[in-house]
Amino acid sequence: MKNVIEVKHLTKSYKNNKAVDDLSFNVQEGEILGLLGPNGSGKSTTMNCILSLLNFQDGKIKIFGKEMAPDAYDIKSKIGVVFQDVAVFDELTVYGNIDYFCGLYIDDKKMRERYVDDALKLVGLEDNKSQYPKQLSGGLLRRLNIACGIAHKPSLIFLDEPTVAVDPQSRNNILEGIKKLRDDGATIVYTTHYMEEVEILCDRVIILDHGKIIASGTNDELKALAKIEEKVTVEVADLAPNQLSGFEKIKNVSEVEYDNGVLKISYSKGKNNLIDMIEYLKTNKINYKKIFAERPTLNDVFLELTGKDLRD
Amino acid sequence: MIVSKAFWKIVLKNISSIITPTIILLLFGAISVSSTSSTSQFEAAEPSIVIFNHDENIGLTKNFIEYIDKHAEIKTDYEDDDRLKDALFYENVIAVVDIPENFHSDMTFNHNPEVKIRSSAGYSAELAKTMISRYLTTASAYAKTNISEQELISKIDAQMENSVEVSIDKAVDTSKYAKAERYFNFASYSILSCFITIICLIMSAFNRTQLRKRNLISSMDIKKMNRVLLKNCCLYSLAAWAFYFALSIFAIGADIMLTQYGLLFALNSLLFAGCATSIAYFISTFALDASAVNGVQIVIALGSSFLCGAFVPAQYLPDSVLAFAHVLPSYYYINANSKIAGLEAFDFDALLPILIEFAIVIGFSVLFIFLTNIVAKKRQKIA
Repeated sequence: MKNVIEVKHLTKSYKNNKAVDDLSFNVQEGEILGLLGPNGSGKSTTMNCILSLLNFQDGKIKIFGKEMAPDAYDIKSKIGVVFQDVAVFDELTVYGNIDYFCGLYIDDKKMRERYVDDALKLVGLEDNKSQYPKQLSGGLLRRLNIACGIAHKPSLIFLDEPTVAVDPQSRNNILEGIKKLRDDGATIVYTTHYMEEVEILCDRVIILDHGKIIASGTNDELKALAKIEEKVTVEVADLAPNQLSGFEKIKNVSEVEYDNGVLKISYSKGKNNLIDMIEYLKTNKINYKKIFAERPTLNDVFLELTGKDLRD
Repeated sequence: MIVSKAFWKIVLKNISSIITPTIILLLFGAISVSSTSSTSQFEAAEPSIVIFNHDENIGLTKNFIEYIDKHAEIKTDYEDDDRLKDALFYENVIAVVDIPENFHSDMTFNHNPEVKIRSSAGYSAELAKTMISRYLTTASAYAKTNISEQELISKIDAQMENSVEVSIDKAVDTSKYAKAERYFNFASYSILSCFITIICLIMSAFNRTQLRKRNLISSMDIKKMNRVLLKNCCLYSLAAWAFYFALSIFAIGADIMLTQYGLLFALNSLLFAGCATSIAYFISTFALDASAVNGVQIVIALGSSFLCGAFVPAQYLPDSVLAFAHVLPSYYYINANSKIAGLEAFDFDALLPILIEFAIVIGFSVLFIFLTNIVAKKRQKIA
């Protein structure tokens, strides 16, 4: 697959603070690349540099094989961007807003009408097209924000935390829409600090911290970096110290945490430890309310690599 | 095309915000017309004068008071000084004459007694002062010949009875342009208010950081977009100016507005509209929100119109206020209106002072365009 974006040694500093530090990566055609990292890790700065919205000190950026520049309008015509903050005109209706932003790329009125209708359909705002942004809920406003960014059917889409502060229904709608865009052939760069979304959506993930890439790969490749294969969580009301130390002696258990009646046991190997744990609790007559097992998350990877939580 | 379409949609969405200053202007125009009478006839005015006589009412003093009574209306009941000041301000009293003690004898013996005169501003006050001064100058001249008080009174009376017959063959009735002057002075507020409100609201919407980012990453050349926006701002200004000019024809009358005078007023307001557009465009580069735009509009439109004499004639404003007004374009616009209203000929010498005011307003426009370019260049990148 050919590279749609090539970033080489990108460095962006604000005075003495390096927001992006010697970043190099590629985005391949048709994939959804997740840029994951905590707030301030350099995700949005990287995106703004790629889009030539920010000057940078060092590095080269190529999009569709051509060097990106503020006046590279042929490249820009194939790009769609959905910013983190809603960027729409309060004075225009939902339809008027999408029509305006689509019109910045598409002159043909009939074609634009069709594209605007498609965008409304994609984000599920057909019934709201005559409303003004102030009449929309937060979730619907986010959907409008997305429709404005993708109405002109770009082949490369940047989505900067598009689901921040949205209700679950709108979030599902947005995620479904993004999958559809990928299915229609778009290449997507998805910036977020929600690891669940990255796991659902992204083909490949780059984890950033302090402007540097600390890990990259597919979900499975990244999870392999975490030194655990399964986590079992048990809600236990009372646990004596000798009972707690007993868990540490179980085979393949790498870590045991007990806090506020919740016991978390990490296994370095194995994917079916739940049954063994239930048996252990029964044998040792430990009463529990709830028990479940889960695979390690990207947060565990981040924790493993940086020693801190993604949401810190 | 799409940018122009969005521009005018936003204009229509905000049109209600310019209705108030327009209605006020219309009302002001109507009041202007009804309050101005025609001056097809000449009639000597009798100014209202208050006399404080500190001398005995005899001889020359009595004759002086009788002379004033003959040429003016003597008002009484103004013992209270505050009341008198108010009366002078509102021109209920045009002048106050203080006749000093021993006036009749001091004048007879050529001791030049000082007659204090306080007056309101304006033409009637000048007339009253000239009338009183004429008597005193005549009395002073005859007193030098060492004649008796009775002879002095006789000579003054004989002199004062001389009069000159004045007939007006041709005159420009400039008073009829006073209502146009008042309308266009007030229009400075309406123009500034409407232009700042609409242009700032629209341009601030386009200049909001998030929307600017969206426009910047689009395939439309940002310079082209800025040109389209500027063109539409100018079109809006031209349309709004044309509307106010049409309103002036309706409010003041075609017989005044469709003359050389009316066209000069129109040209002056067009230049001021251009200046107001450049001011509004400059303010809009700061991407203010709607409430801030409203605040700025009030401060600039209302503030400069008041300071420069759009509502209260400049002669009633303190010197310090007028000194500050010199840095505002409204001052030169209002000055030009005043000069147009008083214009008596259409030759270069007569028009030159007006052309200088025009040039200053154009200079302000150029200054604000220059400042806009500087600020806009600094804001081209988001960081």
